[in-house]
Amino acid sequence: MINKDLSIDFCGVHFENPFCLSSSPVGNCYEMCKKAYETGWGGIVFKTIGPKSFIVDEVSPRFDILNKESTDFVGFKNMEQIAEHPLEENLADIKRLKEEFPDKVLIASIMGTNEQDWEELARLVTEAGADMIETNFSCPQMTSHAMGSDVGTNPELCAKYVRACKRGSSLPLIAKMTPNITDMVPCAKACMEAGADAISAINTIKSITDIDLERKTAMPIINGKSSISGYSGKAVKPVALRFIQQLRDGIPDLPISGIGGIETWEDAAEFILCGATTLQVTTAIMQYGYRIVEDMKNGLMHYMEEQGVEHLSDLVGLANKNIIPAESLDRDYKVYPDFDLDACIGCGRCYVSCFDGAHQAISFDSETRKPTCDHDKCVGCHLCALVCPVHAIGMGEIVLKEGRAGQPSDKHPFNKHWL
Amino acid sequence: MKETYMKECGTSFNALTVNEEASRCLLCYDAPCSKACPANTDPARFIRSVRFKNYKGAAEIIRENNGLGDICARVCPTEKYCQLGCSRSGIDRPIDIGGIQKFVTDFEKASHMHILEKGTPNGKKVGIIGTGPAALEAGLRLLIMGYQVDFYEKEGLAGGYLRTGIPEYRLPNAIVDDNIHRLENLGATFHYNTEIGKDRTLEDLKEKFDAVLVAVGYSKAKCLPMFEKNPYVISAIDFLHNVKADQGSHDVKNNVLVIGGGDVAMDVVTTLKKLGCEHVTDVVYEELSEFLASEKELAGAREAGVTIIDGYVPDAVNENVVTFKARHIDATYTLTADQIILAVGQKPDQTFGLPMEANEVKEDNYHVDGNVFVAGDITKGDKTVVWAVKKGKEAACAIDSYLGGKDHD
Repeated sequence: MINKDLSIDFCGVHFENPFCLSSSPVGNCYEMCKKAYETGWGGIVFKTIGPKSFIVDEVSPRFDILNKESTDFVGFKNMEQIAEHPLEENLADIKRLKEEFPDKVLIASIMGTNEQDWEELARLVTEAGADMIETNFSCPQMTSHAMGSDVGTNPELCAKYVRACKRGSSLPLIAKMTPNITDMVPCAKACMEAGADAISAINTIKSITDIDLERKTAMPIINGKSSISGYSGKAVKPVALRFIQQLRDGIPDLPISGIGGIETWEDAAEFILCGATTLQVTTAIMQYGYRIVEDMKNGLMHYMEEQGVEHLSDLVGLANKNIIPAESLDRDYKVYPDFDLDACIGCGRCYVSCFDGAHQAISFDSETRKPTCDHDKCVGCHLCALVCPVHAIGMGEIVLKEGRAGQPSDKHPFNKHWL
Repeated sequence: MKETYMKECGTSFNALTVNEEASRCLLCYDAPCSKACPANTDPARFIRSVRFKNYKGAAEIIRENNGLGDICARVCPTEKYCQLGCSRSGIDRPIDIGGIQKFVTDFEKASHMHILEKGTPNGKKVGIIGTGPAALEAGLRLLIMGYQVDFYEKEGLAGGYLRTGIPEYRLPNAIVDDNIHRLENLGATFHYNTEIGKDRTLEDLKEKFDAVLVAVGYSKAKCLPMFEKNPYVISAIDFLHNVKADQGSHDVKNNVLVIGGGDVAMDVVTTLKKLGCEHVTDVVYEELSEFLASEKELAGAREAGVTIIDGYVPDAVNENVVTFKARHIDATYTLTADQIILAVGQKPDQTFGLPMEANEVKEDNYHVDGNVFVAGDITKGDKTVVWAVKKGKEAACAIDSYLGGKDHD
């Protein structure tokens, strides 16, 4: 079995691998965190600890899922807030975990209602032995508007609370951002300027997953009513990657802990290439358990081997420079689709999608049940390749648009959907 | 043993697995499955409805296109029709269309849907002789168009071969009952124990009704000359009829020889096994590569442990000792059995003097002459339930055109 070094340093803290539990129901007590460490997770963000004054009072039930076809958990909605255990118990768990697992990383997530809270909590978790602090500026389902994502959309408040934490602790500090904002950069910048060492993103997206058609409310239903709350899982990955890319564009070389729909090594590698140094996971653990880390680690090792990379850090941010503004893209050429008629099974889906969703370039022979493409009409959008169930459509001829300079052979149009 | 016979077999999807199966469907353009269904049940359309969570819409598509959709879902040899051209076969295996159709029609029943509605009465009456699938489908179509419909059935219950021939484990009588009730609710009248040609005449009906549809099916078993008057011999349709009438409480012999290789033969051998017959030997004229029975039926027989001797014809018989000769190799096979069941085909019983040609009535688009029409097995075409549905549907349209209704393409 492959064995490669997956270790990576993040804000001066050494992680044996980049995979961490995110601050959530999956890291809620000593027993859970112990099992996660033993299963192979490199770090844990312990479920957010709040001040004594804030009483956590949860609803039942508190989750919902979005399905598609026979896939459950396309997306996940969560109404749970921060840790419900008493402060002393959480601090005792952190202390015990650090004693028993000194080589694993423990990040204490905290959330206060005012500067005093933030400073005090930072001091307490530092005393308990945490390696890092994550400030939760982003939970979208708090019952107090002085807490959570209402804070994370206000750069001044973010900066004020970061400074308060820094007064209470000298540990490296990660500020956790909310995606419920148009541009994350001003808040992230404010945090960094106030002394934060890194940013974690994204927390969950405010959502309604579905409406109960009989009871006419959202899910989950709590005594006939429901609320907007945070959405996570595979469905949010595209949004998370976009925010991380924008953070790296806005604040060059920003250290990031990536969060949002990671469940496979491929997802993990994508976040790393977009600029994340460490990774945090919740939804996939809630669905499948801590064991998923085994395939994420092993798969990532094989990817490093394939890429000829010895240090994981060499992969961080490699995609950033290749994701550029739309106005900067090369618009001088188009690529025609190429149809592998031996592989084609004659379903006609390319024809349907080309006509109804693109440019009516494909015709379908009802006798042979094979498509043909009219290059005069084809714009090279490749919707056909995306809908083909047997991946029988790939890259064909590259042509320059009329009057454009250059050589087709100099272009690099290939993408992973063209097998 | 009765329980084994009574228990319905075949695919039973639930809400989870039906979605998985429907998601396998490629949602083809100009779908081969829909083009291949003789009854135009339009599987591509109802699978798409299931895929997009519209079970009620799926039920409407099935029932409106094929009045006996719940029956076809269970008995249709789909691998010869809709599933034959399924594009998904290019990846792995065809969609289980019958299974999805069964889920949808079960859903229709559980949701108490009433999809077909009686048409505005047009004052015209049609008499239908027989209550098999062609008769039932024609009756449904005519009722929807506004005709008064009367069925004449020689037995005490309706359904024809659906009730008397297809074993309970493939088609429960409860499903046949549902279809009869559906017709009654739409206003059909059933005259039971009324045999035309004996209790009433065809001439009577021609007088009484604006049109008469003869859909009597193939209710008489064929025999091979050497087996005539042999006390050990019983016909397949009599055997299946008796077992179904007894609802499986039927004693079988321990060593039974079955001759024949079609779906009826497969029903006989599988039924024998389900009822506890230890030695079932099926001797078949065709070799396995040219078998007539549907894949599902043959698989069921093999799974039940039936001995199949393929490529042999009966050569001599002495009471219960039969000798067969191989068709293509130099070999003979002799066997002594407690009972011999012949499944060598069927023919019409009573044809009321209608013009015949090789067991089929000579007709022009289901029209014979005067106000007499025909449908079902006694007309040209396949002798399957789905074809009976097709013929019943088309004959109803022919009657409607004849009686001054709209033109049917």
